[in-house]
Amino acid sequence: MKNTNISAMSISTIATIVLIVIITVYSELNQSFKDFLKNLAGHHWITKGIISLIFFILVYFILKNKLKESNVNKYFQWVLISTILGFLVIFLFYAYEFFA
Amino acid sequence: MVHFLIGVHAALGEIGAIGFLWILIELLNTKKRNINRLKTIALVATIFIFLSWTTGGVYYVNIYGSEVKPIIKEGPQPWAHAILMEVKEHVFLFLPFLALLAYSTIAKYEDKIFTSKLRTQLILLCLLIFILAFAIGAMGYLISSSARAALEAKIT
Repeated sequence: MKNTNISAMSISTIATIVLIVIITVYSELNQSFKDFLKNLAGHHWITKGIISLIFFILVYFILKNKLKESNVNKYFQWVLISTILGFLVIFLFYAYEFFA
Repeated sequence: MVHFLIGVHAALGEIGAIGFLWILIELLNTKKRNINRLKTIALVATIFIFLSWTTGGVYYVNIYGSEVKPIIKEGPQPWAHAILMEVKEHVFLFLPFLALLAYSTIAKYEDKIFTSKLRTQLILLCLLIFILAFAIGAMGYLISSSARAALEAKIT
């Protein structure tokens, strides 16, 4: 674990959360995209999980050697912000969809 | 009858969440440093979050969608599925990555984490994981209650 690049992992986490939010909202707005996700792994939620896992690993390994381990503090703040915003966007989207 | 996988999924998730609360407390207590214990708790808590993800997924994909979801949607509290379940299943996808980041940071920085500027951020991350996991647990409780309410409405 000593070789882990925490800056790269933080950005990878942020990017994955953003991707999950985008896929989630877009799949609700576009039925054919949701069906496409469903056809890939049998269930849209499984596909979302697999895509996020692959994306997280991919972004981490792309950035691992390119990014210096600095500004970790700042990246961590963005992890916290993106998580809270991601939660709020998903919650407000489904609440709006239900009440609208 | 409530499926046993709900209990397994909830228990794994809550134990994982308590693990992150434990890490938070260890990080606040700067006088007594035990990095090996901290690393072990972080690893176990992260594994429990991943296991909760997979057990919850097995239940959600194989049982919830076909047996529980239609009952809730026809019952008196359809918002439990339309809002809470949708939020729960998607926000849960954040947790394994957040847990992995917290564990990796502790495993990399070891003792230095107690004096690093990152300590405060890590405390906040653990707090966020704990709050999210318990919020998801509370949503699960409300979804189960809605399923029961829907069944009761069918009987009466």
